[in-house]
Amino acid sequence: MTTIRIPTPLRPYTGGSKEVDVTGGTVGAALVDLSARFPDVRRHLFDDAGGLRPYVNVFLNDEDIRTLQAEATPLQSSDRLMIVPSIAGGAAEPQGVPVDHAALRANQASIILLLVAAFILNATWLVAVVALVMLTGTALGRPGFLWVYLLLRRIGLVKPDVLRDHPQPHRFAQGLGGAFLVAALVAAWLGVPWLSWGLVWLVIALAAVNLFAGFCVGCALYYWLHRLGLPGFRVGPLPSTFPGQRPGNDR
Amino acid sequence: MSVSLSAALLEAIHAYGARAYPEEGAGLLLGAFEGDDRHVTRLVPLDNRFRPESRTRRYLISPRDLLSAEDEAERLGLEVVGVFHSHPDHPARASEFDTQWALPVYSYVITQVQAGVAVESRSWRLAEDRGMMTEELLQVSNTPDAEEA
Repeated sequence: MTTIRIPTPLRPYTGGSKEVDVTGGTVGAALVDLSARFPDVRRHLFDDAGGLRPYVNVFLNDEDIRTLQAEATPLQSSDRLMIVPSIAGGAAEPQGVPVDHAALRANQASIILLLVAAFILNATWLVAVVALVMLTGTALGRPGFLWVYLLLRRIGLVKPDVLRDHPQPHRFAQGLGGAFLVAALVAAWLGVPWLSWGLVWLVIALAAVNLFAGFCVGCALYYWLHRLGLPGFRVGPLPSTFPGQRPGNDR
Repeated sequence: MSVSLSAALLEAIHAYGARAYPEEGAGLLLGAFEGDDRHVTRLVPLDNRFRPESRTRRYLISPRDLLSAEDEAERLGLEVVGVFHSHPDHPARASEFDTQWALPVYSYVITQVQAGVAVESRSWRLAEDRGMMTEELLQVSNTPDAEEA
């Protein structure tokens, strides 16, 4: 018989006992016997693979069994075992990389203004310019109208708003907007103006939802394609952030 | 399911988290189990024993520290009822790592410390199946306890 001291948080699982007598020739066997007598204690001592959980420390007559022969340490009948947990925890590792959302918003605002102007002026060439800028930005992996943002920042009109986020979905969203505009140009060339301007207004609407409501539809689409396991869509949404929603950065 | 403590004790938990910033600060909650509730009447702030380079995201209370806190609790006629720790620049939400390391029964009070300022505290408890930590009510009273530290 060996006596094991049970730590306070595990006592409800040993019928409230502070100390329990167990049998076993080694420390490991004694712990297995303890879990056999009190099955509810098992999941707090052992993980699914049967190893001791990382917070479980076992002391044999005041010596940590890790400095002896670990679970193979032999036991004498007069030995006293003590289970003492380490208490640990901590915040989640930060995910994503710094992404300046002010630059993204300046990009969206530029797209909206120029496309609305193109519609008012019936200027298909302006739609082509916006499409070119967006697709070039996508190819370079940055907002197409980054220069607008840099200019606004230099004259002090906007401030950086750096959030931890994944840049890939934003790049995809911009590329998608650019592709819609290319489709609009094709529709205009084919002589279907309602479809052409409809697509332009779709891009305006999606950019506006992103700018004013903080929801990036293209990003949501990216995350859904990621969930479906499509190659190339490598990153999943940030923890506790709805796919497409602007990250609250931990709020 | 709740944990109750005085405003002064919560203030002390916040101050400890702010002082430890940018590292995590942790300690033990002493008090009494009252059925499914815990009433905290004393704090034992402890050193963070995690590897120094990871202390901004991790805390560790050594088994020796826990044993001495349990002795102190016994002397005072109290029990260790939980743990408090801070999350620097991170919400007061139990993380996956918190869950992996959590012990049953204890209340885990987590304080969000944003840029060195304690923002809010929330309390969590490990679910029976160890699958997650569920939030419990953190009750703050304005009447100080006589035996408060």
